[in-house]
Amino acid sequence: MSWRQRFSRWDVKTAPYLYIAPFFLLFALVGLFPLLYTGWVALNKWSLITGNQGFIGLANFQYVLAQPRFWDAVTNTFSIFLLSSVPQIFLALGIAAVLNANLRAKTFWRMGVLVPYVVAPVAVSLVFGQLFADESGVFNAVLTSVGLDPIGWHSDRFWSHIAIATMVNFRWTGYNTLIFLAAMQAIPRDVTEAAVVDGANRWQTFFNVTVPMLRPTIIFVVITSTIGGLQIFDEPRLFDNFSLGGPDREWMTVTMYLYELGWNSQRNLGRSAAVAWLLFVIIVVFALINYVITRRIADSDHRPNRKALVK
Amino acid sequence: MRSPLMRGAAALAGLTLLVTGCSSNAAPSASSPASDEKITLTVATFNEFGYDDLFAEYTKLHPNITITPKKAATSNEARENYFSKLAAGSGLSDIEAIEVDWLPDVMQTSDKLMDLTGDDVKGRWLDWKAGAATTADGKLVGFGTDIGPEGVCYRSDLFKKAGLPTDRAEVAKLLGTTWADYFNVGKQFVAKSNGVAWFDSADAIMQGQINQLPNAFSSSDTEEVLIPMDQNQPVKDMYTSILKASVDDKLSAHLQQWQPDWTSAFQKGKFATMLCPGWMLGVIEGNAKGVEGWDIANTFPGGGGNWGGSYLTVPAQGAHQQAARDLAAWLTAPDQQIKAFKAKGTFPSQVEALNSPDLLGVTNKFFNNAPTGQILADRAKAVTVNPFKGPQYFAVRQVLSDAMNRVDVTKKQTAEVSWAQAVKEFGALS
Amino acid sequence: MTSVATAHQLAGRGAGRAAARRRQRMEGGTRRPGWVTYTLLAVVVLISVTPLYYAFLLSTSTAGDIARNPVPSPIPQEHFFENVARVLNSGIGFWTALGNSVIVSVATAVSVVFFSTLAGYSFAKLRFRGRNWMLAFVIGTMAVPTQLGVIPLIIVMSNLGWTGKLIAVIVPAMVTAFGVFWMTQYLSEALPYELIEAARVDGCSMIRTFWHVALPAARPAAAMLALFTFVGSWTNFFWPFIVLGSSNPTLPVALQLLQSSHFKDMSLIMAGVVLATLPLLALFAFAGRHLVSGIMQGAVKG
Repeated sequence: MSWRQRFSRWDVKTAPYLYIAPFFLLFALVGLFPLLYTGWVALNKWSLITGNQGFIGLANFQYVLAQPRFWDAVTNTFSIFLLSSVPQIFLALGIAAVLNANLRAKTFWRMGVLVPYVVAPVAVSLVFGQLFADESGVFNAVLTSVGLDPIGWHSDRFWSHIAIATMVNFRWTGYNTLIFLAAMQAIPRDVTEAAVVDGANRWQTFFNVTVPMLRPTIIFVVITSTIGGLQIFDEPRLFDNFSLGGPDREWMTVTMYLYELGWNSQRNLGRSAAVAWLLFVIIVVFALINYVITRRIADSDHRPNRKALVK
Repeated sequence: MRSPLMRGAAALAGLTLLVTGCSSNAAPSASSPASDEKITLTVATFNEFGYDDLFAEYTKLHPNITITPKKAATSNEARENYFSKLAAGSGLSDIEAIEVDWLPDVMQTSDKLMDLTGDDVKGRWLDWKAGAATTADGKLVGFGTDIGPEGVCYRSDLFKKAGLPTDRAEVAKLLGTTWADYFNVGKQFVAKSNGVAWFDSADAIMQGQINQLPNAFSSSDTEEVLIPMDQNQPVKDMYTSILKASVDDKLSAHLQQWQPDWTSAFQKGKFATMLCPGWMLGVIEGNAKGVEGWDIANTFPGGGGNWGGSYLTVPAQGAHQQAARDLAAWLTAPDQQIKAFKAKGTFPSQVEALNSPDLLGVTNKFFNNAPTGQILADRAKAVTVNPFKGPQYFAVRQVLSDAMNRVDVTKKQTAEVSWAQAVKEFGALS
Repeated sequence: MTSVATAHQLAGRGAGRAAARRRQRMEGGTRRPGWVTYTLLAVVVLISVTPLYYAFLLSTSTAGDIARNPVPSPIPQEHFFENVARVLNSGIGFWTALGNSVIVSVATAVSVVFFSTLAGYSFAKLRFRGRNWMLAFVIGTMAVPTQLGVIPLIIVMSNLGWTGKLIAVIVPAMVTAFGVFWMTQYLSEALPYELIEAARVDGCSMIRTFWHVALPAARPAAAMLALFTFVGSWTNFFWPFIVLGSSNPTLPVALQLLQSSHFKDMSLIMAGVVLATLPLLALFAFAGRHLVSGIMQGAVKG
């Protein structure tokens, strides 16, 4: 075997690992220790202020699971998640399809939808504060002017979720749109054109050709939205100036609850870490469910045979 | 925590200072130990402590010292930073400013802070100010900077319309001495006010009252022994009477402080009085820009009251603790605090500073040229109670605050139902 | 042009010709959409831009006007430059912060794109033992709530002696699970095996194959990832605040100091918001053009 062949064989074997190594190295440096640390904290009575008070096993988990507030937080999180992620993904897919057309001033439209992502939270919360204020807000002014009852955006659980979902959708729809758009750009026109030649209209082409070909990207967006949506923190915190989730915790999410336990009311890092781990488990389970569902849906018939098109 | 009670304060930012000419003489500090070692001290503050010029002055007096200031915008961010680094065991500055609201936590960690006791600072502060930062065994964990003595701010124009007196001395007399007096005048007011409320928020009134109890939530004042919520009659009585005044007697505007509705209520004139720590004057002036008629009365129901204020601490993590203590002692000396007050309006907690002509001469144009310096100095001296606040004080206070707001602001529960929920939430704290 | 040339060189004439053909078709091809499409898009963009425009309106106003009228008239007032001057003269270290933000954002964007593409290529197109569970692990790390990580991360940084230095902000963000996952998904669909095989048959080493085949194919996704990472670093507040502090700040850390009085002067704060956003909009205008044409050229598919 020549040197070249030997190098080549070694190259083929090790290259895949070398390429993924940076992620794992960095994770070992800045991710692994915090993860293990959090796990250890969760098994101890651990105060933010006074530190470790001793090993207590699963008592923190027992405490958290017995709290109605924890289950409220889980319910709120799923409610806000469903109200935001589902419409957001469909909206993003739709807008991306429009942006993928042969538009004039492409850059303008494409970057236009991404603007919400770059605006500082202080500006966003100010604007939404003016829109959703219970007495002086723009939305309630409109409602009362047409003879309807004002909505208790900060007192009614459901409506507070709607308001927060609106903020979330505002901020992240454009982001997901561009992700879809990037994937759509990679679909060769031959494929869609072939469908058009076969007599498919625009809608049929989109649903039967484009969407199935976006499968990996749809899986990506669904999984990252699930993870991000269940960890939602910034928007509900910005919904009022107290960041606790309302006097009855109407819009307190799980991450806000873990923050309140650890940094606010109890300064109890042990319980806070237990919530973090429970949330981790919930997210993994739910992301897996979503993954399976998405795969099924995106995998269903009509998937064009790419190999055949390639050859 | 972003609740208003957590926002206590360092800055009287809006207080207009009409200081003409600077007469105070900068006596050089005599207390620094002779050392020519070149050192850098980091000083972490939040809001506005008014130290920028003082740092320059200090480094001129001590050429071997360099000062690196670190700032956080609000006490919330400073608090997250402080406790995260305290928990991590590293990264704190040589001098860390803390707010009175996290003092109960800081006191628990007194072993992680330098004991600042010393003859040079004995008797420098108002008793209750220094007392709050002194541990049961006599350790001083922080040097007092500013305080938030409370008066009552009121709208003289709305008072006039309702047939009440408008002059600030007469108003002070009218408001009486007890909370019951304050509520009674409120009832007279709302009877003729055409829908304008007496005060902004029920929980703000609770904030004023609870600080007058020496032991609100703990049965001991040396260590925390929590009184079970369902057995805490004094607090229950306050809760009931404030909510009765707010809801049944319609005295409250049902607002939550710092929310957009509250901010816009200043322009719409939705309430006539407000409990008013010194730093609140700037907030009112900013929110009520263009509104005429605000004034401040030299009185506070139920005795004196203080809301907010800060301290400087020296973490034991630091490498130059003695030098840091010297700097902190110098910064919190009366002369320097007066300069900080003139720069950024941080109201002094030092006894001597409260008699300074620079302070007493201050008037506030927005508040009908009220002698705010004199009024607030009087209000500071009227504070007699030094409430005991244990580690769980603010957790319980939050439970109470939520209970008030469920009745007063969101109006989702009756006072009884909300109290029952508070009792349950209190149970979950342990 | 590069991608066509590269495809020529690596995959033989056939692929190059196909790519050229496709490009031609795309440019001359589909008919332009009608006014309904533009109206819909205009509504979407209008909603997207409103808060930023609102921030701009407030930055042209004064604190007093804002207090009197929280929903201002849509015509800007004349105080913009005065407010900008107040931001620049407020002693928050604006220019240092701007420089730091540029360094951090550029460094993380370049690094994330490179390492994520590398890893994504490996996960998507190379076969190796443990691939599936390693990818699952990468995705799993995203599900770890980050709020608690701050304390241990402070410990790590102070042990490394990085506290207060930009490296403490750059290094933890040098490659992200998000980026790796995104590149994996994108390349699994966008990069045909045929191209890789052709390059290998031509005797390219693994890294050359990556460089000449995977990187060009990844360009649209990479451009997107770079943009997202840049913006993410640019707007990140909490960690830089904790680890750098205001003495060596990034822009968000410096600008938050504008909120330090009890009464928040929104004209000043929003002038800061506008100043921090302007460079990003400039980047949009500049990179956005590249992004679009990059997307077109990057469509190396066969």
